[in-house]
Amino acid sequence: MKALTKTYKSGRIDVQALAEINLQIQKNEYVAIMGPSGSGKSTLMNILGCLDTPSTGQYFLGEKNIQSLSDNQLSEIRNQEIGFVFQSFNLLPRVSALKNVELPLTYLGLPPAERRKRAAEALDRVGLGDRKQHKPNELSGGQRQRIAIARALVTQPALILADEPTGNLDSKTGEDIMALIQKLHDQGNTVIIVTHEQYIAEHAARVIRLRDGHVESDLPIHKT
Amino acid sequence: MSFFENIILAFQNLRANPLRSMLILIGMAVGIAAVLHVVVLGELTQQRINERLSQLGSNVLSIQPGYSWMHGVRTNAKAVSLKWSESNALAEQSPVIARTVPVYSGNGDAAFLDKNWATQITGTTPDYQEVNNESLIEGRFFSQTELEQRARVCVLGATVYEKLFKDESPIGKTILIKSKPFRVIGLLEAKGENWSNPDDQVFIPLTTAQERIFGVDHLSSILAQMRSAEDYDESLFDIETILRQNHRLQAKADNDFRVLRQDFFLAAIQETNKELAKFIIVIALVSLVVGGIGIANVMLISVTERTREIGIRRAIGAKKHQILFQFLTESIILGLLGGLLGISGGALFNHFYLGENAPLPVLWISYSFFICAGIGVLAGIYPAFRAAHRNVIDALRYE
Repeated sequence: MKALTKTYKSGRIDVQALAEINLQIQKNEYVAIMGPSGSGKSTLMNILGCLDTPSTGQYFLGEKNIQSLSDNQLSEIRNQEIGFVFQSFNLLPRVSALKNVELPLTYLGLPPAERRKRAAEALDRVGLGDRKQHKPNELSGGQRQRIAIARALVTQPALILADEPTGNLDSKTGEDIMALIQKLHDQGNTVIIVTHEQYIAEHAARVIRLRDGHVESDLPIHKT
Repeated sequence: MSFFENIILAFQNLRANPLRSMLILIGMAVGIAAVLHVVVLGELTQQRINERLSQLGSNVLSIQPGYSWMHGVRTNAKAVSLKWSESNALAEQSPVIARTVPVYSGNGDAAFLDKNWATQITGTTPDYQEVNNESLIEGRFFSQTELEQRARVCVLGATVYEKLFKDESPIGKTILIKSKPFRVIGLLEAKGENWSNPDDQVFIPLTTAQERIFGVDHLSSILAQMRSAEDYDESLFDIETILRQNHRLQAKADNDFRVLRQDFFLAAIQETNKELAKFIIVIALVSLVVGGIGIANVMLISVTERTREIGIRRAIGAKKHQILFQFLTESIILGLLGGLLGISGGALFNHFYLGENAPLPVLWISYSFFICAGIGVLAGIYPAFRAAHRNVIDALRYE
């Protein structure tokens, strides 16, 4: 990911969720987006994740202008360029960890053997190599989030988007997950994390604060 | 996502809700089984009619006395009694009638040792055997000489044999017909039961029947064999002319006899059978439509329940048409499974209800799978479309 600029004016008649936001996030950056609820961070997240398109303005992911893409092309972008980590994990409850991680590769069209191999590798990377055949409801919250992270990683996306990844976890498990995300960043992934917790945001190298759809501040964090 | 994987996925999802899937399958299956049953029943009846037709020989007309009408009331007595001489006259005078067979039938008991059976005693001539396509298992039909001698010999129909004898050969045995001793000389092959039972008869020479048993000089029917089935109109004309002349009927008077063409009678039964089948198929189709609505209903529920799953799949890269196909595959499989269940259920039912030789209409079965798949598509298209076009963000938040 080289450059990302975006301007956004609300499309809704009344609510302006985001008002003319200009951002640029570089490749390999570790950015936290913060703000109270209603600040527009979820909307921004959705647009960054190509789940939603801006009403006005432009969003470039790499060199692709997202607005000019069809729904199918957006699906491909989500599949190949973006890895999602959700607050509520969003795993398929009835299938095994391995199958969950395989899912994006399925839509990528890889043959089953290749899918299994890569999914297994991704699970190894998040430390769940011995839980491949377990179903999500047999695993703890932290383990579920690790599966979700493995699923996000498995396509080797340009961008990992984490939306309150620790929101449903206790602080100890949350720390483990944050350490895992830190590790991914260290390995060269671009990470954007959305949170309202200051201590979570502090893991990032840069914090963007939103308020009422505006960028309130955009500051690098100097780690001690 | 390959086609094959879609199928596996569909089965997994259907298994996740076994009771619901099962109930809806039964709905479909009942419809299909009902149609299968009707189709097989129709085929069986058709088969039997065809068998009968081949037995009859399509060029045989049956002439029966008409009823007399007194002031609009049908009296019991028959208006005319057909005579043997008339039977001969028909054969001699009409160029299109090959031969005629006079028949007199009456009820009477047949007895052998301690067994007694009320049956039909039919007096006729030796030609009866050929004209009516009767074949013998044992022995022979009676001869012209026996006819002339008013011999007390008889040929047994299969049912009468069953009732009087047990596995032993009846040939040469003496049975009592209306208390008079007769020697059994032949046993006829069974023709099979239909709307009447042609096997429940004992055949004796016509002379014997008229003079020794019943004491009558008229006939109960004349069988007239045409030279060819195409001579029907001409034969009918000749029969009417000759008989009316014989009976001295005025020009205005109605016929006092009836001419029946047996294959016409069968054709009428066939028509009725077809009409009935149409009616039952309509009912069965209604049950299929109900089954289809059931599938649509289940699919809509399933789409709603799995909104979040749809959201997840879409978020990680499933395209709209991939979601569409996923759900469509599921409903097609529901339809096909319903069809499969219905056909096996229907075939099993037919096996027990209609007997082991109930036919399996292969062509129809292959059609019905298309029909079931079609029902699956029709029932699934709207739910699948709804699934594919769910807003991704909303779907992800759906609880």
